[in-house]
Amino acid sequence: MSSQSKNTILEFDQVGFSYDSERSLINGISFSINNAEFIGLLGANGSGKSTILKLASEILKASRGHISLWGKPIQFYKNKDRAKLLSCLPQILDMNIPFTVRELVSMGLYPYEIPPALTVNDAIEMVGLTDYAESLITNLSGGERRRAYIAMTLLQGAGLLLLDEPLANLDIKYQIEFIRLLRELQKKRGITIIMALHDINIALQFEKIMLIKEGKIMGVGSPETILTKVLLREAFDIDIEIRSDVGGAYICWR
Amino acid sequence: MRNKAESREKNMKVRLITIGITAITIFVIALFIGPKTINPFNMSEIDREILLSIRLPRVIVSVLMGMALGASGAVLQGILRNPLADPYILGISSGAALSAAIGITMGITFWGIITIPLLAFLGAIITGIFVGIMGWKRGGFLPERLLLAGVGMGFLASALLMLIMSISTDEGLRRVTLWIFGDLSLADWSVIPYGVAFIIAGFVISISRAKALNSLILGDELSHSLGFSPRRERFILFISIGLMTAASVSLGGIIGFVGLLIPHIGRFIFGSDSKILIPVSALCGGMLLCIADLIGKSLLSPMELPAGIITAILGAPYFLYLLRRKDVLTI
Repeated sequence: MSSQSKNTILEFDQVGFSYDSERSLINGISFSINNAEFIGLLGANGSGKSTILKLASEILKASRGHISLWGKPIQFYKNKDRAKLLSCLPQILDMNIPFTVRELVSMGLYPYEIPPALTVNDAIEMVGLTDYAESLITNLSGGERRRAYIAMTLLQGAGLLLLDEPLANLDIKYQIEFIRLLRELQKKRGITIIMALHDINIALQFEKIMLIKEGKIMGVGSPETILTKVLLREAFDIDIEIRSDVGGAYICWR
Repeated sequence: MRNKAESREKNMKVRLITIGITAITIFVIALFIGPKTINPFNMSEIDREILLSIRLPRVIVSVLMGMALGASGAVLQGILRNPLADPYILGISSGAALSAAIGITMGITFWGIITIPLLAFLGAIITGIFVGIMGWKRGGFLPERLLLAGVGMGFLASALLMLIMSISTDEGLRRVTLWIFGDLSLADWSVIPYGVAFIIAGFVISISRAKALNSLILGDELSHSLGFSPRRERFILFISIGLMTAASVSLGGIIGFVGLLIPHIGRFIFGSDSKILIPVSALCGGMLLCIADLIGKSLLSPMELPAGIITAILGAPYFLYLLRRKDVLTI
């Protein structure tokens, strides 16, 4: 296994995955994630972003290689112990669930016998849903529903949060609000966040980006070093480039 | 927010206490009212005999069956994430009915009065195991597969049941028909220990897995993220449903409505948290079946109406009323 720093909380070492022997979805990737990083997994549809997150949370088991969480092989954790360290929000969240915000958020306490310091009310307050605590999830807007799920994972108290395309189907206002909320959580609570995304505009907001294509990592680094014309053409198979001016960065295409 | 939460909690406690007291009252009333009213303060020998040998076992059986169906309906709708799921959809009741019908029409009496309940229980368990095997794929139950396996097995068992009924004698046909509609008149002390054992076991298992069931309603990936093994939990909960449904069907036949709609009534009034919904559905199921049996045996006395018909006539309008009033119908 490759060497890891004290700060490393998630490490993939030559990890491969395939459902069958014919087609490999993940091809021997290696990377390590440090504490309190805010990382975007960027790639086209079908590039393997969701599979990487599922492998990291042990929803899928690696066909080859090793995955370790806080220095310990992930398969050695009991389900409840893993849930205290890592939580994962899947791409498709069932929004038609019969629970109230409070009932949903309270589920974040399930891995614990003794409740952690953060209370249900605190978690609801942190995502700004205090006024809707007793409302049914089905009565909230798309953005509010996602925030309720985030509050549940906050209460879960995991130091590593894996989010699979959480901005899908949200309008621009909710996208920006959501990113701001995550950045605040990362800074204030020191949570490490890995988010799968395919929107390059959103990727510009991250400190670090991992560019994925066909189950391989094409590059890892800051948006300036990764979102180059050459790499983007290779990852998305289209000619686009990022330009910057005083108002910020934006995508250009012909 | 804290005040609101506290008042909500208090409100919930009041509702739970109210339903508990109502249930106990109904169970007690059902003991003393019927085709013959018994005065608890002035009982003759015959009254005592009716109370202990007929009324008490019958009330216990109806409460047990109602509890089993209500609780297993709430669990099944959760694990299949389908508001239309009914414990009978797993084909368990059809399997039980088929083996009971074979027993009735062939006049099998190996084990005395408990022969038919025992045959029904065996039929239900065998069907449940078969549906479980068919619904198993990639190391766990797949909800849709389980549902379709149940529907398929149910059709097969129903077809064989019809075949047996169409070639049986008039008396056999009448008894099988009565049994299918839920005949509580056969309730007897001898079957109760088996019913209690299996239903309580299933109920305790499902209550102990209430958190896991809540997480399964969110989906397998979130359940996993919250520290559960969705496949293992679904398997354990399937076993609890199988035990409760099989024991219920064997006690008094097939009772409609309770398993499908009682959990929805429970959700409308008490919310969807499984650790409250499962016991509430059990209690409401027990109450409804107890009232239905009381009406069924008293309304056209001495003729008895099957409890399964009364549960639907009583429960369906109430359910439709709630459906109209509330704004959500989901699992």
